[in-house]
Amino acid sequence: MTWDITGMAAVANIGASPEEIFAALCAGQESRKPLKAFDPDKYRAAYAYEIDDRPEGGGDIPLRATRWLTTVVRQAVADTGLDEDLSQIPVLVGTTMREQRSLELWWRDDAEVVLEDLHFGTALKAAFGASTTYTFANACSASLYALGVATDMIDLGLADTVVVAGTDAATEGGFGTLDRVQNDLPDALRPFDVTHKGMLIGEGAAAVVVQRAGTGSGPVHARVRGVSMGCDAHHATAPDPDGITRAVLDAHRRAGVRASDIDLVMLHGSGTPLNDTTESSVLRQIFQGAGAGPRMTAIKAMTGHTLGGSGLLSLVMAVLAMKEGTVPPVLGLTDPIPEAAGLGLVQGSPVSGDLAIAQVDAFGFGGINAVAIVEAAR
Amino acid sequence: MNATSTARSGSGPNGREVVVTGIGLALPGVGTYGDLLGPLPGEGGFDPATGLVGRELRHKDRASRLALRAAEFALHDAGLTDADAMFTGAADSTAVLVSTNWGNADSVCEAVDTIATAGVTGLSPLGLPQTSSNVIAGWVAIRYRLRGPNLTVSNGVTSGLDAVAWARNLITAGRAEAAVVVGVEPGNHVVTKILGEQSTDAAVAVVLEPADAAASRGARPSATIAGYARSRNLAEALASTGATEGGPVGLWLTDGTESAGAGAGRLLAAMRRIDLESQLGPLSGALGVLQCATAAAHLASGAAGNVLATVGGPRHDATAALLLTPPPPALRPSMQERGQHP
Repeated sequence: MTWDITGMAAVANIGASPEEIFAALCAGQESRKPLKAFDPDKYRAAYAYEIDDRPEGGGDIPLRATRWLTTVVRQAVADTGLDEDLSQIPVLVGTTMREQRSLELWWRDDAEVVLEDLHFGTALKAAFGASTTYTFANACSASLYALGVATDMIDLGLADTVVVAGTDAATEGGFGTLDRVQNDLPDALRPFDVTHKGMLIGEGAAAVVVQRAGTGSGPVHARVRGVSMGCDAHHATAPDPDGITRAVLDAHRRAGVRASDIDLVMLHGSGTPLNDTTESSVLRQIFQGAGAGPRMTAIKAMTGHTLGGSGLLSLVMAVLAMKEGTVPPVLGLTDPIPEAAGLGLVQGSPVSGDLAIAQVDAFGFGGINAVAIVEAAR
Repeated sequence: MNATSTARSGSGPNGREVVVTGIGLALPGVGTYGDLLGPLPGEGGFDPATGLVGRELRHKDRASRLALRAAEFALHDAGLTDADAMFTGAADSTAVLVSTNWGNADSVCEAVDTIATAGVTGLSPLGLPQTSSNVIAGWVAIRYRLRGPNLTVSNGVTSGLDAVAWARNLITAGRAEAAVVVGVEPGNHVVTKILGEQSTDAAVAVVLEPADAAASRGARPSATIAGYARSRNLAEALASTGATEGGPVGLWLTDGTESAGAGAGRLLAAMRRIDLESQLGPLSGALGVLQCATAAAHLASGAAGNVLATVGGPRHDATAALLLTPPPPALRPSMQERGQHP
């Protein structure tokens, strides 16, 4: 069974649409900016990948993650050609931080936030009349988890059309704790490069409309072949090679593909030495003997780690890569870590190729892993 | 799960019935889950001062510690742990679902307070896991090595009922062979300020399994998850749940939102009602899971009729409804044989 992706939307630091973000990834210009969201004097980390939409003159405002969410849902639904009335269409939201930034601003600065606004369902009801809405706080695999359970809903006959989204704004507690635990602070997110030091926060949102195969009225962007969801049950924050291996192999099994069928891997690539060595070691094992192996790229080098929505943003970029036959490079990757030797990491400039099937990785705190397989619509 | 939900009958989507096989409470004022039928609060129950200590609970946030206790009691009640409290079921295919709205709110707010007063160096590296709301589900999975899907539902007042329904989905979709569903909220000054009323510690866990699998291992189900919907209002939720067309409803677990449309009002006017929050205080993400446990207590007692649980209403973004029916007859337990746990 496959599921049609008929609508897509995204917003990030480097663009306000999937096409803009993809073009920026291919152009490969440095995108990190000096930290604006929080008082830079309080942190060792000096850079972030923020969406620059705060008011002039400094200071943060609440409900930015909610605003991006309603924006990408509206655009994805329009892309599908559906009406904005979502009273009969489920909306599934994957997020790490939810509206915790608004909670912080309310707690510290008495920002005007009412309790119901801390739940995304409130805005989805107001904007689209949606009632069958769910927020999954599933860390950095949240939006691919949401995609997985969306395909289940269609399978089970609970819906024919589901909107899947992810959104996250930077929180001070998250940014600060990362600053505290990373010994050698990165000044850029450099996945898989020997100079990688860790991750830096990004902000963004993405949405797709998923429909039962053949039931949409518009064009199909790509097809979901299968989504795996699992848990390492190993460590609260560190990745586990066994759990990640199981997630990748389960995704291949669900999609009915072999490793040699994969043309493109959108890596989780968070830029922490532990993630990068674990992910590349696992993929070396999996793609060993699978011919030339797939092209691989990691968009967090330019978007930062956009947390809950990052998996879906990678997936949307995979769809555009397959449409364009182009894989953007990993910004700043000049000297890959030894564990990544032999992997088809794209360096320097975009490469072109015939891309039919892509694998999208997303791994989160709590050891929760989700891997999606998508196929070009031809 | 939408308004046109097909999940109307006792069997879930795809025809596999999902039943409740274990219940665990870490809830002050409630001794055993039979006590949930009232009046509450009663004597005894969980004491956080003595119940939240122990080596395996060290360095964890309060919500995670509460959840670990509730999960421990529920897995024991389901007969899925051995003498060393280790999980004996199929760990690779057991899912963990946690419903919580404010589980890590204390950690979030305390972190920004610390940054403001002492800077980043004042933060503890041990606080890293609870920057993310899914910390609780992570710890429960790690404790019992549960490697199935791991889902944290933070969906407002309906979260608990939603989590039970998503657990059923994961089982009927073949993603999991069993699920531990935990509803948890910690009582602390941050949550009290958020809610505008005194918050309380509350954790409850239920174990869900397919009816056939439960039967084959000799488990004793107390209830079947028969229908669910999250809709714009109560009347629509009841219709989509199947409550208006199934057998008689003997107990309505409400959240005090008396917002029934005319049709629903007639349906529900006569039956027994229990409003857990009016007796125990605000339960938020724990409420729906506690309603599920209360329904199981009602059905296990042999009392007549199905059980309907509803949460939400016009002051919220939706209304959710869950319908629970007696388990398949051959599997129904007698009161004498039910555990009196904790």
